[in-house]
Amino acid sequence: MSGEEEENAAELKIGDEFLKAKCLMNCEVALILEHKYEQLQQTSEDPLNQISQVFEKSLQYVKRFSRYKNPDAVRQVREVLSRYQLAEFELCVLGNLCPETAEEAMAMVPSITTKGRFQDDYAIDKMLNDLSMIKKFE
Amino acid sequence: MFLKVQLPWNIIIPAESLESNGLMLQRSMILRLLDDFASKKASKELGYYLAVTTLDKIGEGKVRQNTGDVLFPVRFSGITFKIFRGEIIEGVVHKVLKHGVFLRCGPIENIYLSNMKMPDYRYVPGEDPEFMNNKLSKIKKDVVVRVIVLGTKWLEAEREFQALVSLEGDYLGPVS
Repeated sequence: MSGEEEENAAELKIGDEFLKAKCLMNCEVALILEHKYEQLQQTSEDPLNQISQVFEKSLQYVKRFSRYKNPDAVRQVREVLSRYQLAEFELCVLGNLCPETAEEAMAMVPSITTKGRFQDDYAIDKMLNDLSMIKKFE
Repeated sequence: MFLKVQLPWNIIIPAESLESNGLMLQRSMILRLLDDFASKKASKELGYYLAVTTLDKIGEGKVRQNTGDVLFPVRFSGITFKIFRGEIIEGVVHKVLKHGVFLRCGPIENIYLSNMKMPDYRYVPGEDPEFMNNKLSKIKKDVVVRVIVLGTKWLEAEREFQALVSLEGDYLGPVS
């Protein structure tokens, strides 16, 4: 299967270049692609030709899988999650899947229990609670 | 996962579309870049190429000897999509077969969830075939399923990724 046998996102082994790379949450990608789509409609003489299949499928996907729609809420989600010393990859998995309990969060992102970033489940719950507040007031 | 990447690229502008007006030149460079980017589709390292966001740096143009075209080395930022082994993703079922289902996730169409990787689900044939477990939870067309990626494979000829996924793990399965 995959060339690098070591790759395992559950342990945050995704290759150095990706660990440092900025990841984007589905809701952030939705905002960027929607903007891009409008831009193309306006500026291009032949808009349909400028839009690749990859672009179109991705736009459909992120529209369906964005937990947050409002641009302000999207910004807040990143801001709140940034306070918890998460890797970019971990941050985006949490923002995409929005787990409801600490147990679920640990199943989705097993690596968050490492490096002593969360002392107990309660600390994780607090972070998830902050996230759900954003959703509530969106 | 969607990634924000910075990439070096070479843009070749044909001699006939070179304009003395700097703005027009920049415009033809951007158009060429968008074209190249869209037609490349994907790479093994960075995954699927979605969109160019900004053109960050334009290097010195070099005239190519035989054709008179000019090659500009540039650096730009863009968005790509790649899935990793061990990552948890949500996909939409688009095909149900006797031995498993195919999911779609972002630009990737061929994400296979084998019946062997959802052991408590049983195939139910019919006009609209589905997989069902004894808690009556159903996996059928257009259902969203949360899965873990077991492995990915890059197909050089098609410039596409395939992936195998599983339901074996906590909090995985159909999402209502």
